[in-house]
Parts: sequence; structure tokens; C-alpha cells
Amino acid sequence: MHISEGILSAPSLTVGFAGTAVLAAATMRNLDMEEVPKISVITAVFFVTSLIKVPLGPASVHLILNGLVGVVLGWRAFPAIMLGIILQAIIFGHGGVTVIGVNALMLGGGGLIAYLVWQQRHRFSFKKREFVFGALAGATATLFSGIILALALVTTGEAFNAIAATVLAAHIPIMLIEAAVVGACAEFLQKVNPGILAGQQPARQAG
Amino acid sequence: MALDIDRYARTESPLQRWDPRVKIFSMGLLILAIALLKTIPMALAALVLALAILGVSALPRHFLLHGLSFVLVFLAPFFLIMPFSYPGDAAFSLLGLPFAWEGLRLATLIFLKALAIVMVTFAVFGSSRFDISMLALQRLKCPKVVVQMLLFTYRYTFVFLDEMRRMHTSMRARGFVAHADMKTLRIYGHFIGTLLVRSFERTERVYKAMLSKGYQGELRLLVAFRSEADDYVKAGVVILLAVIMMYSDLNGALSPAEEGWY
Repeated sequence: MHISEGILSAPSLTVGFAGTAVLAAATMRNLDMEEVPKISVITAVFFVTSLIKVPLGPASVHLILNGLVGVVLGWRAFPAIMLGIILQAIIFGHGGVTVIGVNALMLGGGGLIAYLVWQQRHRFSFKKREFVFGALAGATATLFSGIILALALVTTGEAFNAIAATVLAAHIPIMLIEAAVVGACAEFLQKVNPGILAGQQPARQAG
Repeated sequence: MALDIDRYARTESPLQRWDPRVKIFSMGLLILAIALLKTIPMALAALVLALAILGVSALPRHFLLHGLSFVLVFLAPFFLIMPFSYPGDAAFSLLGLPFAWEGLRLATLIFLKALAIVMVTFAVFGSSRFDISMLALQRLKCPKVVVQMLLFTYRYTFVFLDEMRRMHTSMRARGFVAHADMKTLRIYGHFIGTLLVRSFERTERVYKAMLSKGYQGELRLLVAFRSEADDYVKAGVVILLAVIMMYSDLNGALSPAEEGWY
């Protein structure tokens, strides 16, 4: 899910790059040298897993997983997703070079929102908490990205309204798939290695 | 899946001999110019120019076709939707849907520009080793941390691609078949979780190994960039072509109407 090259106008492209620069600077503050390989390795995992095809009726869709990046990396999800998008633009010509900014805002912003949703789990305590909030995080990330994509298309011109509507409609099944996968993954990580998940709170002391 | 963009970086060509710093900078300007074109004739000219650049790059045809096939799939929906959804006068009806030439024109414009840009990008990054391209980016004032992370990510993409294939093979060996149901999605969630756990353990080892080899947070390569007169001549030609394209696009030297086909 990307905006393709050649659609957006110069102002939109500029807004994309400016917004990405601001968010990247903000989310990469106090970056420890130790975190550099960590973020990169996780980005590589997401890059690779986003190649997984999930069957959907007669067709199949690729996973986006920007919500899961938020669940795992927290604020650092933004630089991670930005890296993935730069690499995709260079290697696949997927998206494109001039739309790196817009695409990073669209998907990276979704990752940040997923983290905010994911953090709300601390307010609750029930058995399936990690699954439910993982799923919510995955769904909101996809929804956010879909809305930004549709907005970018609509502001480009009336001619793109139908495409925007189609894109939004196509996001509904993708949202459900992402919710199921991210929820299952969050629940799995909570059981197997909770230290990986972002924003964990130290276990409460008894008594 | 062809992920290694620099597989044929040794192919001898004027692009390969070009100082990567100057190459990335001038081709970047060209790409920006193409992205902002508004008329069909100039977009066609850009596509011809991109084809010429690919020709000069001497990269193998099967490698290029494979890379470009992604773009074609991605752009196909525009042709299916835009001609039938363009607001305003429809020229005629096709299968009961109003068909507008202007919609088809817009879809064509997007298609031509996107294809041209992807071709130029391929030529630029396909003609230098990836680490050298990244070092060139660093010299062009791209933040060091970003360059570092791009390099690591690129490197580990292949490691995890192999790992993922192995895991997938063993899953299938145990009888897994992907269906469109909840169970499949749950299994995928666990699959990704396992990959994450393994990669996390790996990052610890990687970081320690890097520290012991003297890593100080910066990329060091035994490559010295040297730009000579012909590097700048190539850059001059590319930038001049970009400016000419932008100029005739805006002033309609070759194409009077933005709304028309020519």
C-alpha cells in the first residue's frame, strides 16, 4: 500500500518530506548507538514479512504490519518504517523516490498511532488483553494509513475521488487481516519473550 | 524475488564509472523533474530518456524486466478505474459505464511518469555497489544514522529472507496450507513472532561482534570518491535535459494544452 510516483503535486510532495523530516527528527531523539543495529534488524524482519501473501478469496494480499512495528518498537517505529520505505523505493521501485516522504508519513504515522493504542492496554486487565490491544493497534494503523492515502488522493483532484473510495473500501478486509495477525503476534510475544514488546511496565510488586 | 539491486553493479558502463555522488545528485534532480511533468508528450520524452539511460547502463534485460513487473502490476488499477470515474462529460458508455478520455489521459500520464522514474532509479542504484551508493548518500549530507540503518537493514534482509524460507518450508513439511481463515492468520502471527524473537537474539550478538571490531557508529569503506571533468559533463547533460523538460512542460513549447493529449 503506497502512493505511486507521478500522482501528487509538488506541494504535497514537499509537505510529505517536511513532515517526515520533523517526525523522524522527533522520534530519533536520544538514539543510542546500541539501538542502531536493533532498529535495522527489526526493520529487515518487517521488510521480509511484508512479502508474505495472505489468501483472500480468489486473490491474495500482502501484509502491511506497520501496526506491529509500533507494538514492537514504540516511537522508534517511525524511523524503522521510513527505512523500509526508502529501501522499497530503491529496490522495487515500489512507491517511488519522490513519494518517500508522503509514504513514510502515511505508514509511519500509522505505526505511531498503533503504539498509542497499544499503550492503552495498561488501563485494563483481562486474560486476552495483549491479543485485543494488538489487534486494535493493527487495525488502527491500517485505518490511519488508508485515510491518509485517501486524503492525499482527494486533495490532488476530483478525478481521484473514485480511486480514493476504492482504496478505502479495499482497506476494510486488510484491516481485519492485520488485526488478526498483529493480535496473534502480540499475544505470542507476550508469552514467549515479553521484553520485545514496546512500553512494557515492570511487574507490580506483590504486597 | 530480486532484492539485490546491485547484483550487476560490476557491469561496465558510463553509469558505473560515474562518481556515485554526482550520479545520485543529478539523477535525483532528473527524477524530481519527471515527477512534476503535466503533459503527455513530455512524459513520453521522459520515458524515452529513461529507456536511453537504461540502455547506457547495460544492465541485463531479464533483471530489468523482473524489477519493472512490480510497477506494472501496481499501476494497472489506474487504467481500470480512472477512465470510468472522471467527473464531467463522458465520451461514450462502455458496458454501461461512462468512459471519459480525460480520465484515460490522466492514467496514461501517471503510468508514463512512474515507469520513467522507476527506470531511472534502477539505472542509478543498479550501477553501483549498494554500500558505495550509501556512502555517496552520506557524502551528500544524508544523516549518518539513516545511512547506517539502511545498510544494516539491506544486509539483514537477505539473512531473514533465508530464515523465513526455511521456516516456511518446515511449516509446509508439517502440513500447513494457507487458507482464508482465522487459523491461518493466527499461525502467521506466531510465525512472525518467532522470526522476531530469533532476530532479537541475533541483534545482541551482532552488536557485540561489531563493537569488538571497533565499530564507532560510522560507516568506513576503503573507497575514495574522485570526480573528474567527465563526471561533471555527464551531470551537466542530465540536468540540462531535466531543465529543458520542465521548461517545455510549463511553457508548452511542444505541448500547448495541459488538458489535451498533445
